[in-house]
Amino acid sequence: MARASTPNPSAFSQFRTLLAKDLRIEFRTKEMVTSMGLYALLVLTVYGASLAQTAWGFNILQMAGGLLWVVIIFTSLLGLNRSFSQEKEFAALDGILLVPMDRSVIFLAKMSANLIFLLAIQIITVPLFAFFFLAMTTPANTAPLIVLPLLVGSVGIAGIGTLLSTITMHTRGKDVLLAVLFIPLIFPLLYACVSATSMMLVGTDDPGAIWRSLALAGGYDVIMILLSWVLYDFLLSA
Amino acid sequence: MRSSPWPDRIMPLALAIGALLTTTAFLLAFLVAPLVAGATVGSTEVIGGIAVSNKLLLSQKIFFFHVPVAIVSFAALAFTAFYSIRYLMTKEPQFDTRARIATEIALVFIIATMASGDLWTRFDWGVWWVWEPRLTTYFILMLLVIAYFILRTAIDAPERKATFAAVFGIITFVDAPICFMITRLVPSSIHPVVFSTESGMSPLVLVPFLLALFGMLLVGFSLYRVRLRQVTLTDRIEQVKQQLEETWQNRNLMEG
Repeated sequence: MARASTPNPSAFSQFRTLLAKDLRIEFRTKEMVTSMGLYALLVLTVYGASLAQTAWGFNILQMAGGLLWVVIIFTSLLGLNRSFSQEKEFAALDGILLVPMDRSVIFLAKMSANLIFLLAIQIITVPLFAFFFLAMTTPANTAPLIVLPLLVGSVGIAGIGTLLSTITMHTRGKDVLLAVLFIPLIFPLLYACVSATSMMLVGTDDPGAIWRSLALAGGYDVIMILLSWVLYDFLLSA
Repeated sequence: MRSSPWPDRIMPLALAIGALLTTTAFLLAFLVAPLVAGATVGSTEVIGGIAVSNKLLLSQKIFFFHVPVAIVSFAALAFTAFYSIRYLMTKEPQFDTRARIATEIALVFIIATMASGDLWTRFDWGVWWVWEPRLTTYFILMLLVIAYFILRTAIDAPERKATFAAVFGIITFVDAPICFMITRLVPSSIHPVVFSTESGMSPLVLVPFLLALFGMLLVGFSLYRVRLRQVTLTDRIEQVKQQLEETWQNRNLMEG
C-alpha cells in the first residue's frame, strides 16, 4: 500500500505562512503601526519646535529630503527593535526553528513583514510631513518620484535591520546596540537616498545624478540582502 | 612545549625592518622627494591656475604617512573578514581570536589615519571636519569597527559572541571597498586616485611612498603577531589554572 505522504511544502508557501502570521498578529494587536506612527508624529512635532524660529527665513525644500529620512530612520529603529520581541515570548522562535526548512525563508518573511510595516508608516508620514512643512513651497515637477528612493531605502532598511535585530535580540542593552550597529551600516544607503530625494524635491540640472544615486542605493541593497541571506543561517543556529 | 610557529620567529625581525623602512621613508619624504615639479620652499607655485604657497605644499608630505597607514587598516579589515569566514566554516575559536585581533589592529591604524588626516584638514582647509565622501565613508568604517567591539562585550555566551561578531565583521568589510573606491565613483578634489598607472608620481616620490607602505605593512603584521601571541598565552594560562583548580578540588574531595 502506498503511503499517503503529505508533500513537503514549498519554500514559497512556508514564506507565505510566516509572513501571514506576522501580519495577522499585527492586525489583531496593531502594536507596531500604532507605536511607530505615533513616534513619527512626535518626531515631526519636534521638527515643528526646532524649525519654529527660522520657519520662513530659509528654503526648507533644500533640507526636506534629509529631514524626511531622519523620521524614517528613527521610526524604523523603533519598529526593528520590537520585531523579534514577540518571537522571544513563549519561545516562539524555537518553535519556528523546529520546522525543517531553509533558515533564509525566515529571514525573507521577517524582512517582508518589517518592510510592509515601514511602508505603511511612510504612507502616513510622508503626506503629513508635506502638509506640515512643505505647504508654502513649490517642489519641482520630479517630486512624486521620491516614491522610488523611499522604496529602495525601505527595502535596504528592512533587510539590514532584520539581520541586526536578530543579532541584538540576544544581547544586553539591545535597544542601544541596535542603533550602534544599524546607523553606520545603513549610512551609504542613507546618503544615496537623501541625495536622490533632495534632488527630486528641489530639482536638478543633471538628471543622471539622480539615477546614479538610486543605482548606488539599489546596489547596496542587493549586496547587503544577499549577504544577510547567506549569513542568516549562522545567526539562528548560534 | 610547542615550538613557536615561523611567523613568531620572524616577527622581531619584521618589526625592526618595518621601523627602519618607515623611518627611512619619512626622511626621504622630507629630504629627497620634491614638493611639486621643481618648486622650492620660500616661493609660491602655480598649480592648476591657482597660486599655492609653499607652506601648503609642504603639508602634502602627509601623503607618505597617511596613505600607507590607511592601506594597512584596509588590509587588517580584510583579514578580519577572512578569519570571520574561516570561523563560520570551521567554528574553531582560534579563528575568532584572530579575527578579533585583526580588528584591533585595524582600529589602531584607523585612529592613526583619522588623527593624521584631521591635522592636515585643519591646516589646509582651515576646518577640523568636512563631510567629504572619502572622509565620511572612512568615519563610518571607524564607527563600524568600534561597534564590532561593543557587540562583543554585549554577548556572554562565547560561541554566540564569536558567531555574531564574525557575521558583523563580514558585513563591515562591505564598507571598506566602498571607502576605497569612493574617489573613483564620486570624484573629489582632495583625495586623488593614487593607485593607477596615471597617478603621475615621479620616482623620487614613488620610492619613499612604497618604502613607507611596505614598512607600515610589516609594522602592522608584527603588531598583530605580538598581540596574537599574548592572547594565546593568556588563554593557555587560564586553561592551566582551571586544570590545577580542578585537580586540587578533586584531591580535597578524596582526602576529606
